[in-house]
Amino acid sequence: MQVDEEKLRKALSKPAAYGPDLDLSQYSMEAVEQPKVDEEIIERSFEVGVDLRKRGALTTFLQIDHGALYKSVQKQFEGDVELLTIEEAVRKYDWVKELMWKLRSPYEDKYTAFNALHGAGGYFLRILEDRKIHMPIQACFLMFSPGAIQSVHNIIVAEPGSEAQILTGCTSHPKVSRGLHVGITEIYVRSGARLNYTMIHKWNPGFDVRPRTGILVEDAATIIHNYIAIGYVRSFQSQPTARLVGGNSKITMNNVVYLQGSSEMDLGGEVLIEGKGDKAEIITNAVAAERAKIINRGKISCEGEGGKGHISCRGLMLSDSAEISAIPCLVSRRMDSELTHEAAIGRIAEDQLFYLMARGIPREEAESLIVRGFLDLSPMNLPEHLEQGIRRIIDMALQGF
Amino acid sequence: MLLKIEDLHVEVGDRLLLKGIDLEIGEGETHILFGPNGSGKSSLVMAIIGHPGYKVIDGRIIFKGIDITEKPTAERVKLGIGVVFQNPPKIYGIRLRELINRISGKRERGDDILKLLDRLNITENLLNRHVNVGFSGGEIKRCEIAQALAMNSDFLILDEPDSGVDVENLELIGRELSKVLEKKSALIITHHGYILRYLKPTKAHVMIQGTIICHGDPDQILNQIMREGYRWCEKCRLMRRS
Ligand SMILES: Nc1ncnc2c1ncn2[C@@H]1O[C@H](COP(=O)(O)OP(=O)(O)O)[C@@H](O)[C@H]1O
Ligand SMILES: [Mg+2]
Repeated sequence: MQVDEEKLRKALSKPAAYGPDLDLSQYSMEAVEQPKVDEEIIERSFEVGVDLRKRGALTTFLQIDHGALYKSVQKQFEGDVELLTIEEAVRKYDWVKELMWKLRSPYEDKYTAFNALHGAGGYFLRILEDRKIHMPIQACFLMFSPGAIQSVHNIIVAEPGSEAQILTGCTSHPKVSRGLHVGITEIYVRSGARLNYTMIHKWNPGFDVRPRTGILVEDAATIIHNYIAIGYVRSFQSQPTARLVGGNSKITMNNVVYLQGSSEMDLGGEVLIEGKGDKAEIITNAVAAERAKIINRGKISCEGEGGKGHISCRGLMLSDSAEISAIPCLVSRRMDSELTHEAAIGRIAEDQLFYLMARGIPREEAESLIVRGFLDLSPMNLPEHLEQGIRRIIDMALQGF
Repeated sequence: MLLKIEDLHVEVGDRLLLKGIDLEIGEGETHILFGPNGSGKSSLVMAIIGHPGYKVIDGRIIFKGIDITEKPTAERVKLGIGVVFQNPPKIYGIRLRELINRISGKRERGDDILKLLDRLNITENLLNRHVNVGFSGGEIKRCEIAQALAMNSDFLILDEPDSGVDVENLELIGRELSKVLEKKSALIITHHGYILRYLKPTKAHVMIQGTIICHGDPDQILNQIMREGYRWCEKCRLMRRS
């Protein structure tokens, strides 16, 4: 898509619809020299599900600050998967530019505008027609330079009939205390394709995060979009947006969030059902500990014949200083649509706690079992080893609890 | 005496549910507790295991010579009390497998546990499901019993292990319990007494409106209840405080 620079510059001062407003002049695009992939970086990436030790074996993309540091396609899938930096892709294919900013507007707010003007890096990932990639594809974005703004643009195209599992982990180096991560991700799920896309975040407490995700789901295509955030963030705001344009297509957005400290998160999910018999689900399980504040918005609108949508927002409060809001929203423009939602916020249920204690499990352990159970990963349909990996991350975060 | 309950008065909210219960269960004995719906049987179970909602306002509970009336649930469990609940809660997100592993501590008993699960027909599929979520009546009972047996407690309290259970499940449960209870002590609550076909209990008690009004031979009491219903108990004087 052609962008209008004049208009972009104006949009640079436009706050996002939700979340605290940030002053972009407080961050820099300067970067210190890129580090080597050392143990610390490998360890940290592992905490967001990316196994850099296996980078020789799995399709892997690693970006630190503004540029790609590593990129490779698993041998077995060469010719099935195309992985390029976004800059390479724009040079290689005319049509890549057409896919950029089609599912999110660059004029939406200052973060998209900044990205359209000054963004650097991101990946282009294409799963070729009818290819089934049964091994995970992993991408890691790590922030290393203090006070930097990492502003990346990713394009994913799952061509007709293809299948893949993509994992994107975003994180900050343990030594860096402040930064802003902006990630634009546009995902095209073509006819009959099946995609499992999982984003895992782990931030240092001083980081601000503004992902902007747009998803297009065509005829009989399916996407499971998972988001997992464990630990801290200064502020996070995102409203991934999907359009189901074909018939019999399906999206499930699963969010699993555990926040502590003074973390603030405004997490949404918006689906527009346009096709016949499309299904959408947004499921969020959020735990707020200490002084964490979580706003959870889900919105499903239906214009397609016989469309079905369901939103589930569940919140678990672990402290009286925490705050959780659930704001599910349903919009129907069809008589035959079926839209439902459920929202519930509460503390750990006493009857469950008592039950586990009556089985000889000590109180603290019973509490942590229930919290871990609440952060249920099973709807995410993750590969076994990844699910176990994320469980480990959750266990680590819950150790102090 | 393994369990000794003296003049127990229990309140929930400000309603008095148990009004002076006396009960003694010796080592190796199996006792049966009958009683109509709402008479307070499950409340007695909750009081023995120490549910915080059930307040003991008078009387004492002595287990293995230790006064546990004020002790937290965890300590009672550690002393050797295991409960099969009548209405266990659903626990979303925790798989049965994980819970049973925690309970049994995965120790050298791992093999025994596998055999136990097999005998109770607890399948892989069931083990992978969230505890009690969407379980059928029979599945709930079998899983409750498996958990209680995995704890390896000396004293088992079974709150209606036979209600809502079909013939095949009853057979499974009955066989397992009859074997286990050869070596352990138990208090079994049963509404229609189906489970008695498999067990040889020591003694039975009947609870009406929060008091135990009679004791006696289990088969004899069951026969009377079958014939005349609980009205019989109310007019019963003969066996009273026998
Ligand atoms: N947690 C509770 N809160 C309020 N009322 C209760 C509670 N538990 C039991 N009761 C009441 O106490 C009475 C006895 O109940 P229960 O002990 O469950 O009887 P049983 O097991 O013999 O059927 C009933 O009237 C029941 O409604
Ligand atoms: Mg009962």
